[in-house]
Amino acid sequence: MIKAHHVSKEVRSAEGKLVILNEVSLSLDKGQSLAITGASGSGKSTLLGLLAGLDLPSSGSITLDGDEITAMDEEGRAAVRARSVGFVFQSFQLLPGLSALENVMMPLELHGVAGARDKAQMFLERVGLAERLQHYPKQLSGGEQQRVAIARAFASEPAILFADEPTGNLDTVTGSKIIDLLFDLNREQGTTLVLVTHEERLASLCECRMQLEAGKVLLTEECA
Amino acid sequence: MLALRLLWRNWRSGEVKILAFSLLMAVAIVSGIGVFTDRLENALIKESNSFLGADRIVRGSKPFDPAWHLDADKAGVEHAEVTSFSSMVFAGDDMHLAAVKAVTPGYPLVGNLVVSDVPFSTNVAEQRVAANIPPEGEAWVDSRLLPLLGVKLGDTVFVGEHSLQITRVVISEPDRGDGFSLFGARLLMNAADLPATEVIQPGSRVSYQWLLAAPDAQLKPFLADLELKLTEHQRVVDLESAQRGLSKTLGTGQRFLMLAGVIGVLLAGVAIAISSQRFAARHVDQVALLKSLGAGAWRIRSLYAAQLFLLALFASGAGLVVGELLQRAVAILASQMFNIELALGGAEPYFIGVLTGFVCLLFFALPPLWHLPVVPPLKVLRRDMPVEPLRNGLQALLGVSAVLCLIWIYSGDLRLTGSVSAGLGVIVGLALLGAGVLLNIGRKLAAKKGHIWRLALASLDRRRGQSLVQILVFATAFMLLLTLSTVRTSLIDEWRFQLPEDAPNHFLVNIAPWQVAPIQTLAENNELEISALYPMVRGRIQQINQAEPENKRSEAWRREVNLSWATELPKDNKITDGVWWDQWSPSVPNEWGVSVEKGIAEDLQLNIGDQISFSLGGLELNARVASIRSLNWDSMRPNFYFLFSPGALDGYSPMYLTSLFLPPEKKLFINDLLHEQPTIVVVEMDKVIAQIRTIVERVSAGVEGVLWMVLASGLLVLFAAVNASMDSRMQEAGLLRALGSRRKLILGSVAVEFASLGLFAGVLAVIGTEVLLLGLQAWVFNIPVQPHYELWLLGPLLGAALVGGLGVYSCRKVVTVAPGLVLRELA
Ligand SMILES: Nc1ncnc2c1ncn2[C@@H]1O[C@H](COP(=O)(O)OP(=O)(O)O)[C@@H](O)[C@H]1O
Ligand SMILES: [Mg+2]
Repeated sequence: MIKAHHVSKEVRSAEGKLVILNEVSLSLDKGQSLAITGASGSGKSTLLGLLAGLDLPSSGSITLDGDEITAMDEEGRAAVRARSVGFVFQSFQLLPGLSALENVMMPLELHGVAGARDKAQMFLERVGLAERLQHYPKQLSGGEQQRVAIARAFASEPAILFADEPTGNLDTVTGSKIIDLLFDLNREQGTTLVLVTHEERLASLCECRMQLEAGKVLLTEECA
Repeated sequence: MLALRLLWRNWRSGEVKILAFSLLMAVAIVSGIGVFTDRLENALIKESNSFLGADRIVRGSKPFDPAWHLDADKAGVEHAEVTSFSSMVFAGDDMHLAAVKAVTPGYPLVGNLVVSDVPFSTNVAEQRVAANIPPEGEAWVDSRLLPLLGVKLGDTVFVGEHSLQITRVVISEPDRGDGFSLFGARLLMNAADLPATEVIQPGSRVSYQWLLAAPDAQLKPFLADLELKLTEHQRVVDLESAQRGLSKTLGTGQRFLMLAGVIGVLLAGVAIAISSQRFAARHVDQVALLKSLGAGAWRIRSLYAAQLFLLALFASGAGLVVGELLQRAVAILASQMFNIELALGGAEPYFIGVLTGFVCLLFFALPPLWHLPVVPPLKVLRRDMPVEPLRNGLQALLGVSAVLCLIWIYSGDLRLTGSVSAGLGVIVGLALLGAGVLLNIGRKLAAKKGHIWRLALASLDRRRGQSLVQILVFATAFMLLLTLSTVRTSLIDEWRFQLPEDAPNHFLVNIAPWQVAPIQTLAENNELEISALYPMVRGRIQQINQAEPENKRSEAWRREVNLSWATELPKDNKITDGVWWDQWSPSVPNEWGVSVEKGIAEDLQLNIGDQISFSLGGLELNARVASIRSLNWDSMRPNFYFLFSPGALDGYSPMYLTSLFLPPEKKLFINDLLHEQPTIVVVEMDKVIAQIRTIVERVSAGVEGVLWMVLASGLLVLFAAVNASMDSRMQEAGLLRALGSRRKLILGSVAVEFASLGLFAGVLAVIGTEVLLLGLQAWVFNIPVQPHYELWLLGPLLGAALVGGLGVYSCRKVVTVAPGLVLRELA
């Protein structure tokens, strides 16, 4: 499902060349889940962005759902994202001007899915927000906002879900609930999951683990 | 339709509303002003053409070729003939040299002939608009003719060999102001009776006028053909040549309205640019999200383009409605205030309004949004990732050049465009140079003041770039508004000044020297003031520098002109070359000097020192040109082409001329006067003046109404600009509040911050205004250039108050709502 081959990312900064990701390779089959862990600044988000096709590596190749996205242009990668990818972010990334329901409807509408409203409503009910459909993000708590984001991600039934520290902005109790929800839905839909986290409980729920340090792979646990 | 839904959802956030509202305002102002100006113009053209009683007149000293009538009918041009001459009118033993006007059916083609059955009527209820001309055998006369001849309505008088029954009195004729040549009381008769009077003989002095009226489309080609057939004794007269002062007023008024429209668009454009910028800033995240969801750059482009297009469509539609309502409101207001009615306008302004909306969107809204489609999708993961909008300078350049193009297209006036550019240029230049300095000075001053001041100035300093842009925007808006209101004031003042309430409205002519004292006594008894008396002799130019030119085209060679002398230079006259009598000395003893009006001097190619010979009733008078004078033709005072040095005309038995102001309630003074001194001639200008005043008031009302429309859009710009920086300020204020700062401190610092911005902007605006006014006054409106001291106080103060107030208003939420909520909303 996902294959990364010697992926490196360098950026130019004032002090010269900076290697933020160094020769990372990985492989993940359909339905498997991977946890990427590591200290802050070790390159987790960078790797996630590359795997999801949001950015291009300096070298190496990445294949996503059968397409070599590193050989594509941005429009092509956008098409792949539209077809196969969903996201959950640390900072939720809900649009403040839209209600919960509209936020979930957004990707469905963008992809021209029929019955977007019903589907969105169904997923919001699934994440336990049946009563909050018309509420705006600022009227919701952090945990509720993240549940909306999860509903949005799963509503378009992606083949692969990328989550960047989905519990990073939440307290432990709320975080656990979000984790359970995430894995429940993952199981129901058979989604491939790539998860960035520094929470042990969350990482331990994944079949495979990869730990980064300063852009290098420190440890890979073979998928269970 | 996704774009529509997105637009609807985006609508809830403020910036789309401001964007839509600015767009609406641009369309409303352009179409509103356009339609209003159109209507006003149509009404004014009608009203002013009624000075002619027609759209055009062909004037001649011989009857017109009857074949022309057929041509006019064929071309779809309305026409009527007016034959004017002086003739004795008899009733028993009484007689009067009346100004007779014989008219054909249709007269007047434009404007109203008002008549009454009550002589000397001042009561509108007794007056009515005549539907026809006098029937054959009847005459309508000036009220004063009745006592002069000792007759009453229904009596019969003789014009030449023909008797006519007087059936009505004439209250006003539209074309009364037409020249001073006929001094007697009016007698209006049917042209069909003319042959029977046998007064017109070969050699009689008769003026023939052929009145024409039609829309320009028909009239212009007809006139072009007609001009070819005119003899040298016939010429076409339009308002321009008939009423110089009036057509100048109209022209100025139109230019003002155009300037106002241009300024309105400029302001709306700025508002659009600001709100688009804010829209773009707020949509970066949305675009990044859409991209992470798989929307490509082209999808984003089409989504946003469609939203903008829809927005433009709705806003333009609403703008047209609002514009229509605005112009109707202004028209109704104007008609209530000045009792005027406006004609209908065309459809063109609506079209131009919508076009303007789209152009504004293209040049003001698009550049700030240009970078949105290329926002990197990675931004969803790395929120701090910088995005690179189109450079501010480039955006401003695009906007400004679009505006200048628009101004130029609307006005077709390079000078106006140039003046506005110069004003803008000065503001931008000074802002770039001076704003930093001002901010530094402000900070130093603030250091000595309290907490609030330091906080405010530090905040400004931190946002140097943004502050600079805001100062620029405020300054531009203030400049345009100050300019518009200053121009309006000086125009209206000038118009009022041209025709003050107590401007002389009657001329007394043909006063013999021995009549001067009795007339003055009579005036004093009636508490009336008679202005200076001018001696007057009619004469003809014979030679210039002992020679007659081959080409005597100038009117002055062909006609008798009024000659006079004066010790003092008349009030409105200005010497443009040479000197007045107090500094003049003859080159040979006993030589007379003459001061010549500028226009006629140019016509006759006269220079200082030239010698002119006049013939005054067969007697010769030689004089040397001592000065050239310009004079004010609008002043309604006696004006003379030639003014001699004192005493020059004493030997030529001059008659005297004077003017006086007669309020309506003392109108009957004329009857007493004429009863006592029947040989003098009274020229009544009061109705003409009233008509001119109506027109001036209409133009003023229009100017006033449009000013208010533009002020509204100016406020909108300020509002948009203040709001644009509110996000970050609210966040800071919310933080301060959460940290326990008191309401007074926060609002105080916001007030000081914005008031300082307003103050800086006000100073810049005043400088820009002076530059812009310099151009406008010198080139566009031809009013004397002068500094406007009041602006130097008003501009900065108003700026500080307005911007400060708006700042506090926009930020008020931060102190009325719990700090937690504020922070949460802004997170
Ligand atoms: N475009 C970039 N320019 C400069 N530095 C970058 C860029 N992207 C990432 N970095 C740096 O690379 C390192 C890794 O970043 P990131 O992947 O966000 O780490 P993590 O998600 O593990 O906390 C950080 O030190 C970050 O500052
Ligand atoms: Mg990260």
